[in-house]
Formats: sequence, structure tokens, C-alpha cells
Amino acid sequence: MTIAQTDTDRSPGQFQRLMLRLAKGAWLIVLVYVALYAVYAIQQPKALTSYSIAALVNNTAPLALAAAGQAIIVLSRGFDLSVAGVISICNVTLAVYPLEGPGGAAVSVLICLGIGIVVGAVNGYLVAFLRLQSIAATLATMIICQGIALVILKAPGGYVAEWITYEMTDRLFKLIPVSGLVLGAIILIWMVMKRSSFGISLYAIGADETSAALSGINTVRVRFMAHVVAGCAYGLAGFMLSAQTATGNPTSGTPFLLLSFAAVALGGTSLSGGRGGVFASIVGAATLTLLQKVLFSSGVSSFYTGVFQGLVLILAVVFSAQLARLGEGK
Amino acid sequence: MNLTGKTTTDRDRFAQAGDARGSARISRETISTVSVAVLCVVLLMSARLINPALGSWSQVETVLVLGFFLVILSFGQGVVILTGGLDLSLPATITMGGILATSWIGAGNPAEWYLLPAVLILCGLVGLASAIGIIWLRVPPFIMTMAMSIIVASALLGYTKGTPRGSAPDAAVALMKGEMLGVPAPIWALIGFALAGWLFQSRSVYGRYLYAIGTNMDAARNAGVPVTAMRILPYVLSAMCAGLVGISLVGYSSGATLRMGDDYLLPSIAAVVIGGSSILGGRGSFVGTVGGALLLTILGTIISALGMDFGLRTIIEGSIILIALLLLREELFQKLRAMGR
Repeated sequence: MTIAQTDTDRSPGQFQRLMLRLAKGAWLIVLVYVALYAVYAIQQPKALTSYSIAALVNNTAPLALAAAGQAIIVLSRGFDLSVAGVISICNVTLAVYPLEGPGGAAVSVLICLGIGIVVGAVNGYLVAFLRLQSIAATLATMIICQGIALVILKAPGGYVAEWITYEMTDRLFKLIPVSGLVLGAIILIWMVMKRSSFGISLYAIGADETSAALSGINTVRVRFMAHVVAGCAYGLAGFMLSAQTATGNPTSGTPFLLLSFAAVALGGTSLSGGRGGVFASIVGAATLTLLQKVLFSSGVSSFYTGVFQGLVLILAVVFSAQLARLGEGK
Repeated sequence: MNLTGKTTTDRDRFAQAGDARGSARISRETISTVSVAVLCVVLLMSARLINPALGSWSQVETVLVLGFFLVILSFGQGVVILTGGLDLSLPATITMGGILATSWIGAGNPAEWYLLPAVLILCGLVGLASAIGIIWLRVPPFIMTMAMSIIVASALLGYTKGTPRGSAPDAAVALMKGEMLGVPAPIWALIGFALAGWLFQSRSVYGRYLYAIGTNMDAARNAGVPVTAMRILPYVLSAMCAGLVGISLVGYSSGATLRMGDDYLLPSIAAVVIGGSSILGGRGSFVGTVGGALLLTILGTIISALGMDFGLRTIIEGSIILIALLLLREELFQKLRAMGR
């Protein structure tokens, strides 16, 4: 088996190598995004001003961060439903206990990260140590988290600290959106993480857990860490969402449950693990958000936006799987 | 790459199959079913201690009527999970059944005797579309049913222009509000459905096929199981069950809303998991699922009767699912078995 594998790797055709490249990297989804943006720019000439770019990035940031966390779990062949719960808890916490000023914002970020780490550690313990199926275990933690969010804040209301809502949605030097910087930082961290032993182990576990364990990877620890890291990303997503909505809602995280998977799948990350990445998933989330805007400005009734989103999702998954198959020469 | 992955999963499955010999598997399923049933009775009894109004016959009646919806849904979800899939399109399909029943058929329509089955068939087509995507386009079930859910929900939004109109068909009202021999009609329907579901899943050849596919698809194909047809069937069944729940829900509350199905997705999965099924497929029984659905319903009615906060109620529900998962862990059963030896 391994010999056959190296054989095909040694002499792939030009075409196959191109397909493999497209399927493995984030190239495909970036191309789709650029094309979609071109359509948007033609429809709305204002789309290229730094103001509307900033607005778009602000809209994208929460889903992009949620998708980044989800991608880490999906890469290791898991599912994490707790994303919805963590975002809801962070949102209501920030709305019920607003902390003003830059210092308050820093503490708020730490609180959100803390919430993410705690929930992630619980998930990690259940999935990695107790070996529960990740989809079932995180279903339970998600429901518990949603309950906690409801206990903190019964009905939508409250105010997020003004400093956060202004500064986090602002532009630096009237040009660079702050939320874009946050996303950029996450992408940079991922670039480093991907090359670390943690990142390599993550891909290895997703591709084949038994082989990974046999080659000396501590699969239990890597899985646990994956959930903690993902929890941090959800915490940040909750923070950025609160900065944008400026108010609290105990069910604010719910839409992110399915959309985060949609973004990950759109980015070409295989739901059976081992293929894809965080960057592609972030671009996938951006594409989903942009698609909504393009559909709106093309005059599609907002009632039917979902029909297109669903179809695009199916097409994207079919297409990227097809590319991967061509690339692997099957 | 793909090939190596396949052989190891097969190896794992063989190991699992080798571990769970016939007798062991039966005892495992019996244990989980019995423990869920005992938990149901204990909850009902202890509810009586907290509040004498609870645990009475009328309370049991309420639980069974409310449980009707979840039992039907989790039968559909259960057969999909049994074959290793997952159906996330339930909320949209429930809403579809409800909205078509009210705005397309409506009250006092003499043609309802053939229009209601037509609604069920239309819902079944949603399931068929999911199955086509999963089998021929090879989209993972999770993504495919999620996409179908988004598509159907959005189509319904457009169809109703945001405000569903009309009222429930007479037959749906009769099903939910009627009585027979002093017992509410939905309870008879529940008993009939549970019996039929059990016969289908545990006693018919089709049920056996589904277990075979969920355990090892390649082996099932080699053994002559009509794999493609039996992979389509669960999604169609599940969608038709959801449609039936939609119709019954409008019969119960007499109107449809665009979000009427939203609260049923997670409980449908939870009922299957609590009932002792593996979320990876190939294991579980419908009797257990019925127990899981009733347990969740009992829990819901007790907690709401106690006037507890909705948030606390949600936390307790989640914790119970978690406890059930921990109790049903494979290792725990192996340990128990080892101790018994």
C-alpha cells in the first residue's frame, strides 16, 4: 500500500499536480472569493471604498473566527457543536458585565478566552480522555452552555461596553479595519501552528488516527489541545460578535452552529478529516457572508437567499472533493 | 491515502464486531433500554413526591400526547443514524409539513383525504433529494441535510412571504384532539406507531439490512443487501416522519409558524443517543429510542411544572444527556461484563 502511494507521489502528471494543489491549499476558495468580489464591485461601485470593505470585514469576523475553531476540530476528524454555546455565553457575559475603556476591553477578551478554554477543556476531556463521540459529547455541552447563557441573561438586552463596540469595528488610520487585523493575527498564529508538531499531529490524526498513534503521536493530548484551541477561537468570535451587535442575546450563537460547518466545508476542508485548513475555512466564511451581499444587491428576494446558499454549499463540497480525487489520481 | 484509511476502519469494525458477540450485544441493548425505562418510571414517581398534581394519570396522558411528536421524529432520525448518517433537515421538513397542511389544504377541505398523503410524499421528496446528494454526489450526510434544511426553509419563507396563513386540516385536528375509549387519539396513534416502528426496525428484513449497512457497508454489499435502495430509504422515511409531525403539530396547535420545527432537531438526536444507539451507526434499538424520547418529554413536563427557569431547565436537560452518554460508554459495559465473569 505504502509503496503504491509513493509511486503515485513520485510521478504525478502536470494536471494532477495542479489539481492536488488546488484541492489541498486554499487557492480554490480564494479564487471564488475574488470572483465573487468582482461581481459585487461591478454591482456596487462603492464596494471598493475602505468604509464598505471595513463593514464587510466586520460582518465576516465572527463567523470567520467560529469557522477557524471548527476547522481545527474537523481537521482532527471531529465535530464541535459547542461553538454555538460558547459564543452565546461570551455575548451575554459582555452585555451583562460591560467593562469600559481599553483596560476593560482587555479584561473582556481574557474573559471570553477563559470561557472558551473552560468549555474546550470539558469537551477535550469528554472526547479525548473519556472517548465519547465528539458530536454527541459536544451536543450535550452545547445544550448546557445555552442553558448557562439563558441563566446569565433571560431575554435579549443589555449593552456591550462602548469602547469595544467603537474600537473593534473601527478602521486604523481610516484604512485598515481593526477586525481585519484580528483575523490577520489569527491567520498568522495558524501559519505558525500548522508547522508546529501540534499542527502536524492534527493532520496526522485526521488522516488516520491509528497510524498517528503508532508513529508515536500522543493522540489523547493533541485532541484535548485541539478542543482548547478551538474554544479560544469561539471565545474571540463571541467577543467580535458582541462588538458588532453591541447588545446581548442568549441565543446569539445559534446561527453559528450550522454556518461554521458550512464555512469549513466551503473552504474545502474534508469533514472526514485530514484535508483542508483554517485559512481556507476563514475565506469560506468570508465567501458565505459576501454571497449574501451579492445576492441582495442582485435583487434576489431575501426570502430565497437560503436556496442559493444551500446550493452553493453542495456544489462547493462536490467540486472540492472531485478536485481532490483528480489530484490523487483516482 | 484513502485506501489505507479504509482498511483501518474496516479493521476497527471487525474488532468491534468480534468484541460484541451476539449475546453481549443483546445484553448491552437490553441494559440500556431497561435503565432508560426504569429512569422514566422513577422520574414519574418522584415527581409525585414533589407535587401531588404530577405523576397522576392525566400527567401520564400529557406526557404521551407530547411524546407522540418526538417518538415519530426520533424513529426517522434513528433509522438515518442506524445507517451511519444524520438528518439535520428535520426542522425544515416539519415546518414544510405544517405549512403545506395549513396554507395548501386548510380546514374544511373535502380533498384532504388525498392531499394529506400528497404532503407526506412531497416531504419524502426532500429526503430523496438528500439521499441523492449523499449517495451519488458523495456529499457528507451532515452537509447535505444541512444544505437541504437551509434550502427548504428559505423556499418556505418565499412561499409564505414570511407569514403563514390558513388553519389546520380537519383530519389533523381529529388525530390530535380526538378520543377513543376514553383515551386521547394521539396515544393510540403513538402505540400503533411504536409497534410498527419496532416491527420494521427489529423484526423485518429491511431493519436487518439497515443494521448491516450501518455496521459495514462493504460487507453488506457482498452479502447481497440492496445497499443503494436501503441507503435511500432512511432519508425518505425520516422526511416523511417529519412531515407527519408537522401535520400533527398544526392539528395540536391549529396554526403553522416558520420556526415550528426548530426546537425538535436536537431532542431528536438526543432521544436516539439516550436510547442507547451509537451515533456512528449500526447499533441501537427503536424500543430504546422510544424510551429516550419519553424520558426527554417527562423531564420537560416535570421541569416546566416546577416553574423552573428556562435556562436551568436547559442546563439540566444537557446534563442528563451527558450523564446518559457517560453511562452508556462502551468501556463501562466491558468493565461490567468483566466483573460479572
